Amino acid sequence: MTEFKPTILAFCCNWCSYAGADLAGVSRLQMPTNVHVVRVMCSASVKPEYVMKAISQGIDGVLVLGCHIGDCHYMTGNHRTAKRIPVVQKILKDVGIDEKRVRLDWVSAAEGEKFQKVITEFVDEVAKLGPNPLREVAF
Amino acid sequence: MNVEHVLTTCPYCGTGCNFFLQVVDDRLIGVVPCKTDEISRGQLCIKGYNAHAFVQHPDRLKTPLVREHGELKQTSWEAALDLLAGEIKRIKEKYGPDSIAFLASAKCTNEENYLFQKLARAAVQTNNVDHCARLCHASTVTGLLYSFGSGAMTNTIPEFENADCIFVTGSNTLEAHPIIGARMLKALDRGAKIIVIDPRDTPLSRLAHIKLSQRPGSDIAWINGMIKVIIDEGLVDQDFVKTRTTDFDKLKDVVKDATPEKVESITGIKPAELAEVARVYAKADRAMIAYAMGVTQHSNGTNIVEALANLAMVTGHIGSESNGLNPLRGQCNVQGSCDSGGLPNLFPGYQRVDDEKARAKFEQAWDVKLPAKPGLTLTCAIKEAAVGKLKAMVIFGENIMMSDPDLGHVEDAIKELELLAVIDIFPTETSKFAHIVLPAACYAEKDGTFTNTDRAVRLIRKAVNPPGDAWPDWKIACELGKRLGAKGFDFSSPAEVMAEMATVTPIYGGIDHDRLDREVLRWPCPSKDHKGTRILHTQKFTKGLGTFAPVDHAPPAETPSDEYPFILTTGRNLFQYHTGTMTRRSSKLEREAPEPYVEMNKGDAKRLGISEGDRVSVSSRRGTINLKARVTERIIPGSIFIPFHYAEAAANRLTNAALDPESKIPEFKVCAADVQKG
Amino acid sequence: MREEHGNVAPVMIAKGEDPGDVRTDVPYQLMTILSNLYPWMSDGKKIAVLTRRCDEKALAEIFKRGYFDRARIVQIGLACSKEQIAACRCSDPVPSTVDIGEPHAGVGSDALSEKLMNMSSEERLRFWIYQFRKCNKCFACTANCPVCFCDECVLEERTFVPERGVPPGMSFHLIRAYHLADKCIECGECERSCPAGIPLLTFRKLVAKDFRDMYKFSPGDDKNVSPLLTTLEGEALEGDECNEC
Repeated sequence: MTEFKPTILAFCCNWCSYAGADLAGVSRLQMPTNVHVVRVMCSASVKPEYVMKAISQGIDGVLVLGCHIGDCHYMTGNHRTAKRIPVVQKILKDVGIDEKRVRLDWVSAAEGEKFQKVITEFVDEVAKLGPNPLREVAF
Repeated sequence: MNVEHVLTTCPYCGTGCNFFLQVVDDRLIGVVPCKTDEISRGQLCIKGYNAHAFVQHPDRLKTPLVREHGELKQTSWEAALDLLAGEIKRIKEKYGPDSIAFLASAKCTNEENYLFQKLARAAVQTNNVDHCARLCHASTVTGLLYSFGSGAMTNTIPEFENADCIFVTGSNTLEAHPIIGARMLKALDRGAKIIVIDPRDTPLSRLAHIKLSQRPGSDIAWINGMIKVIIDEGLVDQDFVKTRTTDFDKLKDVVKDATPEKVESITGIKPAELAEVARVYAKADRAMIAYAMGVTQHSNGTNIVEALANLAMVTGHIGSESNGLNPLRGQCNVQGSCDSGGLPNLFPGYQRVDDEKARAKFEQAWDVKLPAKPGLTLTCAIKEAAVGKLKAMVIFGENIMMSDPDLGHVEDAIKELELLAVIDIFPTETSKFAHIVLPAACYAEKDGTFTNTDRAVRLIRKAVNPPGDAWPDWKIACELGKRLGAKGFDFSSPAEVMAEMATVTPIYGGIDHDRLDREVLRWPCPSKDHKGTRILHTQKFTKGLGTFAPVDHAPPAETPSDEYPFILTTGRNLFQYHTGTMTRRSSKLEREAPEPYVEMNKGDAKRLGISEGDRVSVSSRRGTINLKARVTERIIPGSIFIPFHYAEAAANRLTNAALDPESKIPEFKVCAADVQKG
Repeated sequence: MREEHGNVAPVMIAKGEDPGDVRTDVPYQLMTILSNLYPWMSDGKKIAVLTRRCDEKALAEIFKRGYFDRARIVQIGLACSKEQIAACRCSDPVPSTVDIGEPHAGVGSDALSEKLMNMSSEERLRFWIYQFRKCNKCFACTANCPVCFCDECVLEERTFVPERGVPPGMSFHLIRAYHLADKCIECGECERSCPAGIPLLTFRKLVAKDFRDMYKFSPGDDKNVSPLLTTLEGEALEGDECNEC
């Protein structure tokens, strides 16, 4: 049996995390390839609806990455994200989907290595959880 | 400012949910479900919640229109009615009364339909009156009259909740009758077994315990196959068959040939699965069959209905609480418009026009001589018009240029008419061809009654005034009747019409608006102290003994060929309703299902190089339409499905006008078609 | 509510008008009915409304978002019956002022919530998938909800919930749950009006508990002046920001 390779969606904010991802790339850090990066202006512009939709459609894990608290380009964007994503996680848990499939973290423009670490850890963790059970469910 | 919550009945399917229309100063602003209503229990479907949306739409017809030099011009009621009455008189004198046909409407009230048929019979002396029941449950009315003596649901909607087995065929219940579907879901939650037999996957079939797909047009084969299993395995309710029915031997004779192998070759259903279905159904304590257009709209629809009646009688699953055979009627008042005599062979209350005694009764009541010969059905009227035998049609609230099969033919036919009058709430595809168009009031703008699918007679109440100069249909019918010189059209309210109807219609004998204002009454309700009838055929069948009809499989009128290799079947979706006159003007409904589509199986699509969302053209021997493909595993290979709501790609351009010989229902559910990319 | 045509109907009566056979035992969601009417009632007159404890909380959330003018609403406190409290599994049934009815104590817990949380997550998911498969997209849960008042409903946005799909699938319910997280006052109207019998109130209660644990906040709390998930602490609501939730 081939090893399960989860499909991961990573929302990265334009000002910090995406730059961090860029740095990781330029620094030629080894990273899992099964991560689809979506560049957004701010982690707060990641509507929880997108996360819910991704999970409902069978995406195995969703990562939301923003600037560190205090560094938001829009002052308080990531404060809002910090309030919202935990609610998403709890709702998923309540319907029986592991809340570890959604993760919020902060990566600055200078943290190429942290980006690599977060991505790798998340992919490993989701791989351990196995495929998203909703992937095979037809409504 | 005046705020009112007006209790009324939903104008969409035949479930008959009651709700409140929210009115602020003659403006409809919303719908509030009625929590204490026995049928809806404070629950509605998406159409119900949007039932206010089309009422005050700017497209509503507001003034009478008369065609002059090829264009419809506004005129007064006086002028329009005088012209209409004059034309009817002229044509009657020139070609005889049977050259005129009236179409009643399943969207109008019982009172109005009673007046429409009275107009045809008493004022014009023709039995040419019919309505769209011809296109939906004509085969039920004919078939169940033969089997049981009464062509209506044998049980009530709430009883579905307590059944142990619900057997659904040819009905997409959750989409077409959502609140009846809701009762089935309650039964499912309780642990009842749901069986669905349908060529398509439906929301209900995905929840069912057993789902089988038959080839379209092969229904009698599997029903007889089931009956054979039931007989062979000793699951017949011998007592019931002996005491309550007749002609069982004839049935036994027919079904003995329905061997599992033969059934499989016709239907595609595996023998073991069919046997399992037969066992589950036969062994259940309380089993209800529900069916709809998938059964009736065939060129042998009457026989399929009778086959289902056989199945119910063989197992004794009829005539008691949560045991019965239940045709789900699709329009708010299609049951009622049949009850009130909108049929060419039947007076109100299913009394035959060719029965001398019945006719004498009506002649005395209406003080006029009545014709004895049954009139033309809707489908036959179109054929007669095409050959120039029918000269005039007066259509109350129907859109035949969308709803009838083979629209090209319908169009040719109505162009031949000397007089086409359309009375409707919106301009329709049909009114485009009319010589006279009269604006009518819709359900929210008048009083009256609808009879829902479980025979409950329910009041509708006026909530707002009609737009512009529109009149309620009952007033239009009365004014027309008077102008035609007929007696008995002096009514000042629908309640008065119902009072007259009750005197000549035994099954409505005890029904009046005052009683309906307080209680739910289901017919038969013969007298004022009668509480109405929930379950039919409890002690004996309406006709005495139930009759087994020895029916056998016959292929559909059109089968796939090299040129037209697919079987096309048509139907509804949840969000749109019939010809879309109302729902397509309700923004939330239109948002959900804004454009026509054809559903086809993944494998077929792949073979033809078609992917989801591609434009395709679908053609039959009668026409071609262009629409989007929806590729799915939810329809069996070789079959395609098109909803018939969309004028821009009207499925009925393609359908076959082959008729069931007894009920004259067209075969909407099967015709041969081809699909091409582009 | 009053008795009419053999049924119980919601009514609005003018000052001095005879109220007729008044009934208080049928749980119409009067806040929703009032929300529909409110935009048409521009005459500035005061409106008195029968208010259960949950309605009181709904009003708090409505005021927070500026949909009603607080000064125009007069609350008539209605204590719920024991039966109603049991049906709603309600732990907080007594309004701040009881004008009608006898106050009764709330019930501690929702049996189904407990059962679900004791299940394995696989079993729990199976349970909800079965429930959501029954959904027929009637929008009753939003149409009757006293705290669903966005002008443009996210559930009608094609990006999130494709049109035509019946049943609409998981995302419909997850997105709705998120949108209600900081305002659902557990009146149970969604569950009562759901034709499919989906235990939506239980779903709300599960999320509400998490929300309480995380933010020490329950919707309907009048002390918190702005919507919790759309605004940050101490921040006032700006413009149509509440639609951004």
